[in-house]
Amino acid sequence: MEEILLEMSGINKSFFGVQVLNNAQIQVRSGEVHVLLGENGAGKSTLIKILSGAYQKESGKIILDGEELNACSPKQMIEKGVSVIYQEFNLNPYVPIYENIMLGKEIGKYGIINHKSSIQEAQKYLDLIGLEVDPRTLVGELSVAQKQMVEIAKAISTDVKLLVLDEPTASITEKETLKLFEIVRNLKKKGIGIIYISHRMSELFEIGDRCTVMRDGQYVKTLDLDKTNVDELTKLMVGREVSFERFKNSYIVEDEVVLEVNNIVYKNVLKDISFKLKKGEILGLAGLVGAGRTELAKCIIGAYKKSNGTVYLKGKKLKDKDIKDSIDKGIVYLSEDRKDEGLVQIHPLTDNIALPNHEKLCKFVLNNKKVCTVTKEYINKLKIKSSSHMAEAKSLSGGNQQKVVIAKWLYSNADIYIFDEPTRGIDVGARDEIYNIMVDLVKNGASIIMISSDMVEVQKMCNRIIVLKEGRVTADLENTDELTQDQILYYALSGGGQIE
Amino acid sequence: MNNMINRLKKIDIKSITLYIGAVLILVAFTIICKINGKDFLTTSNIQNIIAQSSVIAVVAIGTSLVILTGGIDLSVGSIVGFVGIFGGMLIKNGISLPLTILICIAVSAIIGLMTGYIVSYGKVPAFIVTLGTMQIIRGVTKVLTSGKPVAGFPDALSELTAFEIFGIPIIIFYVFVLYALIMFTLKKTKFGRRIYAIGGNANAAKLSGIKVNKIEMLTYMLAAIFSALGGILLLSRLSYADPNAGSGYEMDAIAAVVIGGIGLSGGKGKAGNTLVGALILGMLKCGLQILNVPVYYQTIIIGVVIILAVYMDKAKERKAE
Repeated sequence: MEEILLEMSGINKSFFGVQVLNNAQIQVRSGEVHVLLGENGAGKSTLIKILSGAYQKESGKIILDGEELNACSPKQMIEKGVSVIYQEFNLNPYVPIYENIMLGKEIGKYGIINHKSSIQEAQKYLDLIGLEVDPRTLVGELSVAQKQMVEIAKAISTDVKLLVLDEPTASITEKETLKLFEIVRNLKKKGIGIIYISHRMSELFEIGDRCTVMRDGQYVKTLDLDKTNVDELTKLMVGREVSFERFKNSYIVEDEVVLEVNNIVYKNVLKDISFKLKKGEILGLAGLVGAGRTELAKCIIGAYKKSNGTVYLKGKKLKDKDIKDSIDKGIVYLSEDRKDEGLVQIHPLTDNIALPNHEKLCKFVLNNKKVCTVTKEYINKLKIKSSSHMAEAKSLSGGNQQKVVIAKWLYSNADIYIFDEPTRGIDVGARDEIYNIMVDLVKNGASIIMISSDMVEVQKMCNRIIVLKEGRVTADLENTDELTQDQILYYALSGGGQIE
Repeated sequence: MNNMINRLKKIDIKSITLYIGAVLILVAFTIICKINGKDFLTTSNIQNIIAQSSVIAVVAIGTSLVILTGGIDLSVGSIVGFVGIFGGMLIKNGISLPLTILICIAVSAIIGLMTGYIVSYGKVPAFIVTLGTMQIIRGVTKVLTSGKPVAGFPDALSELTAFEIFGIPIIIFYVFVLYALIMFTLKKTKFGRRIYAIGGNANAAKLSGIKVNKIEMLTYMLAAIFSALGGILLLSRLSYADPNAGSGYEMDAIAAVVIGGIGLSGGKGKAGNTLVGALILGMLKCGLQILNVPVYYQTIIIGVVIILAVYMDKAKERKAE
């Protein structure tokens, strides 16, 4: 029996009154690859952020190597031997590899860096993980997989005891994945504990030893991976038998085509994408992160300048790179990124809801009274929890912010709504409310394109599902009762029947 | 009663702190002057403060707009100087005063439009672009008269700012009308609300169908127009055009804006408070002069006040961290 390296137990955390972690726990042994599994919003990343010191727990215990840790800063956690490698790397692209690795532990005297020994030292770590690149290369010139390896090298250069890999294979190739696994196995042999977060089932069984499943912020179960299977894990993740009410029977899709997307090409991200959207339809856009779904949405509404292709809304061609024209013609986009793209966080709800609707709310001057009435109306209608209609958007919880985003576009009364990850980071109750809003919309003759990484959600809501993989449509599926998550996942991962 | 509380809630604490600060400075100067056997609140002093503040106050309107979008404009002082020389030359060549004013505004608007275009559509940082235009316009101004001043204007020019209505100098009316106009625009019009939205979150504004680049460009045009108006006021008041006039005004304007509580990151703050900021600066300069504080010390004190004002303004954010 290996010794226990990390023990987190009874961890609680809430944001804006929404409990994100409820008695969460995980236990990692030295020299094991411990998979952390759960749907989007299950609380995995919050748990990891607490481990890394980025967030502070409200209650619970963290014991690392027999030492109880309390209120440690991210820097202290690194010193204690915990390194987290996120999907977005924390590397400076403008300086060489070795400077990135040696940052904070530069070799030299009197504050003058000895570059020669720094390079040698960095080379040592690069050799350990088998990255055959000159340490003097600028990080910005490396591929994603190489940057990831630099991150790992940086982590092991600090006497790491516990390494967390957050979706490490999301944006690297199969070949690079094999290489990564080799590195991970080497680290294992050195007695380093590894927490591995990934959604790719096949991968988990290949690299993982044990697995902890989380759901809705709670601990579900820890299992040995060689004594379980995909079905059991999926059931544990979803919590119920993977059967759910499909909304598709509650709305009627008409024959009229409202949106026609033809041959969209965008840089090397989107490769010739075409599809049609019908009136009253909820069309799902499934695929992995990086498949090009958000880029597709932004090309359609004209936020990005497409390299090729056309979009017709009810027979009228949408102008290239003109969002205003798209909105006027009746198609709107609800960003996945509420903070950076959805709302003006420092402005009150009134201003946020008025923003895309100035034409409606202005004759010569802005009708502030009407803005307030409309805002209050939507606060009631969508059950937005806010101290007042004048509250700043940032004071609201994620779910309520999302409802404000929806409100501002509902008021614009569009024909087509593109929802990008509409329930990401939102608690279960608010999710259902958002689903209901969407169904109401299509019942009233609007159409919806729904981008989502949550397979259950896609199956629940959509009439049809288009699967994207690396900028190509790999499947266009009717959402029948026979369609399973595995099938969708199959097209998203391996892209059956690739065009080329 | 409830109504009262609601109305009180609407007045934000930031503004109140600013007004209290302004009054405190006023009281402090009155007391210190009294101790030194001088009078601070005399008619001539007040007129002096207003005269000194008015040009900066008008220039700072444009600066407020630019800063509200999250930008910066360093060229406003150069435009003040340019308008003095250029307008002065027009008048000397027999062009009528109203036409001169119109031409000055139009030329400045074109300059501002070009600056704004390079910033918004060209994606060159505003700091760099306006640093460049600041130099270019100052240079052009000097080239126009080979660096010599222009003087000897008809009386009509100085009369523009010299007369009074009901005993109040007309220049005060000018400043108030311009501020009323801009406060209305910012609060009540599409254009105004969009300026705030861009400063608050340009991405969200863009995805809401706002033509971010166009509005950004227009704010630089307006900044140039308000600078031109400031330049005309200065020319009229002095009846004398110096090619170096207005240098440093961009800094005073920025100072007035930030003392007034508009953050350099944009999206928040009130243009009306910029006027208070300009008055505070004017009071400081005038008061220190009355107290015979040497000019070098004056700049030190003003520098400290600027930092202090913003430091206090950020108290809430520090607390939040």
